[in-house]
Amino acid sequence: MSATTDASTPEAAASEPPRRMRRKRSDSWLHAALIPIALLWMLPVIMVIGLSLMPANDPSTTFFGMLPESPSLSNYTLVWEQNPILQHLVNSLLITVPSVIIVAMAGSMAAFALARLHVPVKALVFGLLILGLVLPMSGIVVAAFKILQAIGLYNSILGVVLVYSALGMPFAVIILRTGYLAIPDETYEAARMDGASTWAIFWKIYFPLGRPALSVVVIWQVMMSWNDFLLPLVALGDNDLKPLTLVPLAYRGVFLSQPGALFAVLVLISIPVILVFIAVQRYLVNGLAGAVK
Amino acid sequence: MRERIAKAGPGLLFLLPALILFVVFVVYPIVYNVQASTLRWDGVNPGVFIGLDNYADLFRDPVFHTALKNSALWIPLTIVPQALMGLLLALALNRGVFASTFYRALFFIPAILSPIVVGIVWQRIMDPFNGVLTEVGKATGLDWLGGNFLSDPSTAIFAVIAVNIWMWTGFSMLFYLAGLQLIDTSVLEAAKVDGASWWQTTTRIVFPLLKHTHLSLLLLGIIGSLKTFELVYVLTQGGPNHASEMLPTFAFQEAFQLQSVGYGSAISVVLIVVAVTASLSMVRVFGSGFITGEEKRK
Repeated sequence: MSATTDASTPEAAASEPPRRMRRKRSDSWLHAALIPIALLWMLPVIMVIGLSLMPANDPSTTFFGMLPESPSLSNYTLVWEQNPILQHLVNSLLITVPSVIIVAMAGSMAAFALARLHVPVKALVFGLLILGLVLPMSGIVVAAFKILQAIGLYNSILGVVLVYSALGMPFAVIILRTGYLAIPDETYEAARMDGASTWAIFWKIYFPLGRPALSVVVIWQVMMSWNDFLLPLVALGDNDLKPLTLVPLAYRGVFLSQPGALFAVLVLISIPVILVFIAVQRYLVNGLAGAVK
Repeated sequence: MRERIAKAGPGLLFLLPALILFVVFVVYPIVYNVQASTLRWDGVNPGVFIGLDNYADLFRDPVFHTALKNSALWIPLTIVPQALMGLLLALALNRGVFASTFYRALFFIPAILSPIVVGIVWQRIMDPFNGVLTEVGKATGLDWLGGNFLSDPSTAIFAVIAVNIWMWTGFSMLFYLAGLQLIDTSVLEAAKVDGASWWQTTTRIVFPLLKHTHLSLLLLGIIGSLKTFELVYVLTQGGPNHASEMLPTFAFQEAFQLQSVGYGSAISVVLIVVAVTASLSMVRVFGSGFITGEEKRK
């Protein structure tokens, strides 16, 4: 956003020609270094897209095994028709969207309480949050499986949603609270003076003002609940409940003879998170800046 | 008394939804794990109480030692390169080069992909029959590139670590970009006026001012290393013969594939204790400011 500020306006450029020249030259050096690194970094991504276009009847490749000799879109029509890919896509959405909403709402409320309201045993709550932050999913997955069974939520998408929401909560609360602490105290006091209810102060002032922090929380939660496959692997038994990320594992046998179709599925898994990232990336660095200060 | 409840009322109400979810699905599972770790239990039939036997067995188990050794390798070998490359990229992009937003997105994309995608892609890249590395090796004469890195016990863990570095460098970059935004530019201007070179400014002023970012990345890196499951599971399943085993994959295998739920729980408890101890000692040493966003009060 601060890019090219002094070089882009003609006035600035005219008044400061030497500076502009210097800047430009050092920029081209940077690009000379950045472009090859970026290309190298993107090779695996280029390969997935390339191989997803590799038809089953001609698996020959070119360009170091990264691109198909005869590219075609047949794999996309194939996975669309043969595997219930749409169902898995819907499942992924049914898992991700509610867990993001729950974490955004419950997390914002808890963060507001910890930032501005009187909460008894605040230190204990913080201790628990930090414990939750360091807790590995694989460390609780056995227990979560047993608990879901006990409360009748095994093999149910709701159960997966609740576990993801709980796991995302510590990160959400800590990030959002930091964002809320940056809002001056006087805002809260002034709204109180005007007779605003606690809920109104939260919903009308803090929640909207916390948007940069919320964008970090949203992308984090989308990434966790969309990308994970460990919990669905143990908590969902029926194939038609499984999210997209389990498709490569659930249909492993089918893909052995159709590697191109497997890569097409990988592309389909990745598109939604990339779109969300592009949508919120504007806020991401600012939100993180609040979080790591 | 009534007044105290009235005062705490709204705070508790706002906290409640998050707290209930958290206690049921995070705190209770920890308690459950601790309890299950004292049982010889297949997860189906009633368990038999055996006290601390699972732990005694675990500390003698060679696979446990391999997993600890792999964590000890994983932590420095991922954190240092990721931070170093992330910092260099952030410094380059923070100068406001043309298309810096585009570069930023490119380098961050691996971090937002599912580990299942990253795992399968790199399996193909390192496939000794038709993988990219093999093809590059053939074209350049560097035949060693065609090695079967993922199924050779001496290289498997390093191959997984390399993939992890590719995946998470962009994340370090984003953290450093955020940290760089918070540096007061007047300090840098002053250094420039005093005739400090770019290198001097970066190493003597910028680098120390990024302390919070370094610490956050160190803590997140340690936690992330201990948590690592998905990438290992997809790439090697912890093999060959446990060579790339990490504590989470070991626990998962015992609990779900070998039906030793008690033993698996003991591994998880050790994992949680190690993760909590590491985080708490960092908070102890450096203050909690880099987590809660408040400066350490001296």
